[in-house]
Amino acid sequence: MMPDLARLSFQRDGDVELAQVAGEVDASNVGDLSEELLETLSNDVRAVVLDLTNTSYIDSSGISLIFDAAARLRNRRQEFRLVVPPRSFVGEVLSAVSIEESVPIDPAVDDALAAVGSPD
Amino acid sequence: MTPDSTQDQQSGGLATAEEAIARLEDVQRVTEVALAHLDLEDLLNELLLRVREILRVDTAAILLVEDDGKTLAARAAKGLEEEVERGFRLPIGRGFAGRVAATREPVVIPDLDNSPITVVNPLMREKNVRSLLGVPLLIEGEVIGVLHVGSLTSRDFREADVELLQVVADRVALSIERSRLAVQGQIAEALQRSLLPRTLPDLPGFELAARYLPAAQEASLGGDWYDVIELGFRRLGISIGDVAGHGLGAATYMGQLRSAMRAYALDVEEPAEVLRRLSRYADQEHSRMATVIYATLGLESGIVRFARAGHPYPLVLRADGKSEFLAKVGGPPLGTGARYEYDEQSVTLAPGDTLLLYTDGLIERRGERLSEGEEALVAAASAAPDDPELRCDAIITELTGDIETSDDVAVVAIRAVAFDRPLEVNFPAQAEQLATVRHLVRRWVAANGGTDDDCAAFAIAVSEACANSIEHAYGPTDETIGMRADLEDGIAAVTISDRGSWREPRGENRGRGIPVMREFIDDVAIETGEKGTTVVLSRRLGERPR
Repeated sequence: MMPDLARLSFQRDGDVELAQVAGEVDASNVGDLSEELLETLSNDVRAVVLDLTNTSYIDSSGISLIFDAAARLRNRRQEFRLVVPPRSFVGEVLSAVSIEESVPIDPAVDDALAAVGSPD
Repeated sequence: MTPDSTQDQQSGGLATAEEAIARLEDVQRVTEVALAHLDLEDLLNELLLRVREILRVDTAAILLVEDDGKTLAARAAKGLEEEVERGFRLPIGRGFAGRVAATREPVVIPDLDNSPITVVNPLMREKNVRSLLGVPLLIEGEVIGVLHVGSLTSRDFREADVELLQVVADRVALSIERSRLAVQGQIAEALQRSLLPRTLPDLPGFELAARYLPAAQEASLGGDWYDVIELGFRRLGISIGDVAGHGLGAATYMGQLRSAMRAYALDVEEPAEVLRRLSRYADQEHSRMATVIYATLGLESGIVRFARAGHPYPLVLRADGKSEFLAKVGGPPLGTGARYEYDEQSVTLAPGDTLLLYTDGLIERRGERLSEGEEALVAAASAAPDDPELRCDAIITELTGDIETSDDVAVVAIRAVAFDRPLEVNFPAQAEQLATVRHLVRRWVAANGGTDDDCAAFAIAVSEACANSIEHAYGPTDETIGMRADLEDGIAAVTISDRGSWREPRGENRGRGIPVMREFIDDVAIETGEKGTTVVLSRRLGERPR
């Protein structure tokens, strides 16, 4: 049996939810990831940080997932930030679709947590 | 028993020659039917019923030599059932049955009360057995047990009786032997089926073969194993090991170690750390020793990393005919209680190179030095065909062919092969295939001189093109997607083609996939025709300014 392509984990830091994706995101698992992510994110957190530091692969289906999540959180008036290491493959893919225009990107988790609540 | 069992003493228990032949045929039939029996107790009981009938006696019993080779134990009895129930045992050499086994000759006691041989089994007297006849059960001259018959009335067993019982005994011995071998074969087979990988993964760029050879000797079910663990798309785990000792205990422990190894391998990347954990597990579980190698194979790099605990050295056979044992790192076997920090060694398999892992049964010969066995292995492995399946067979035939292997043998061969150029594959149009396809492309690009960036670029572009085919071109059918990769003048071109019939024009529906493809690939050509869609992705391989 192949191990799971990607694993999603959550960590609560005060009123910030940190969601971390490790592995590869493509059309085969994006449905499950999306469901798990959106079900777990609760209304009572102020901000959500999606950490893609350990995401080794993401394609356009994963990009759609991020745009969907961004739209949903915006409707719920929750802040949303991405963590993407500079010069990573995932960073390259995301910049190809100019995702930074919709969701602020930080190079590391600490930066994202520090930036939560501050005006961009 | 039949009332006439002692009446026809004139003919020694047999009426006529015709009857003797008829009875022999009867014996033959019984033993042939017995081949179907896998349960030894059932078989013996059925045989004894017939023996008692054929020889017209009151009791019949079979004692078999125990594993220690020194003791006889009652295994089946008719008319003396308590003998088995009480678990009657006696040393070879003592008593009536012990004497039969020790002398390997028939023994007759016409009258128990006036016998020079001391009958030690009290049951004989309790049951008022008067006369006894015992013959050895022989297989190739070795005693495996004793068959004896008894009469409650005084009976003078004659030469003809002895001969008939010996004929029956020979058939019984054969049946027992066949039954034992069949049972053993079944256990070994079942064990092998349950513990060794059923199929090896199909990995483009590598060829894998493995063999497990049970020991030829009876009752030496071994503790050798090999395992192949799929660790995702970039790595493959391979373990080979040998648990000390034989029998079901060794085989069961082998299964435990193999499972524990699997669990650690899924969690931990470093082979040395996997061995360290396995070693601690082994110390806690057993004092039984085991040797093992755990290796990972990088599917893109061809790099093998391994750690070794007391196991024979891996052997690398290079494409140019050179070979070397990988002996740099080692460590004590598992189960010694020694806390040891295992180190890892690595070796790169280039196309044409083969890594050979094996257990000591392949190289250890009685009376020979280990280095002789290793030399023989190098000679056999070097002379063998390149194909791993053929190579395994040739090595095993060469090294174990003319001797009875007293130990079991496991062999695993992994050969890196050059990618076909062009590479052509077809796969089902299912999202679950995407990861496999992009990792295949990565490895093909890397093997053809591509940089990490080239690999990543083709991986995502091919994956996007395939995802589009899956999403737009097909319904939930068993359609396939074709991929062809070729290299010309330093430019790699990967063609993805589907045969989908389009329900609507493509274009916008490709959504973000096409911009992503164009971001990474110099030239993206999309052609939609009546027979389907073809996407050609071309990019020059090699370093480029960022």
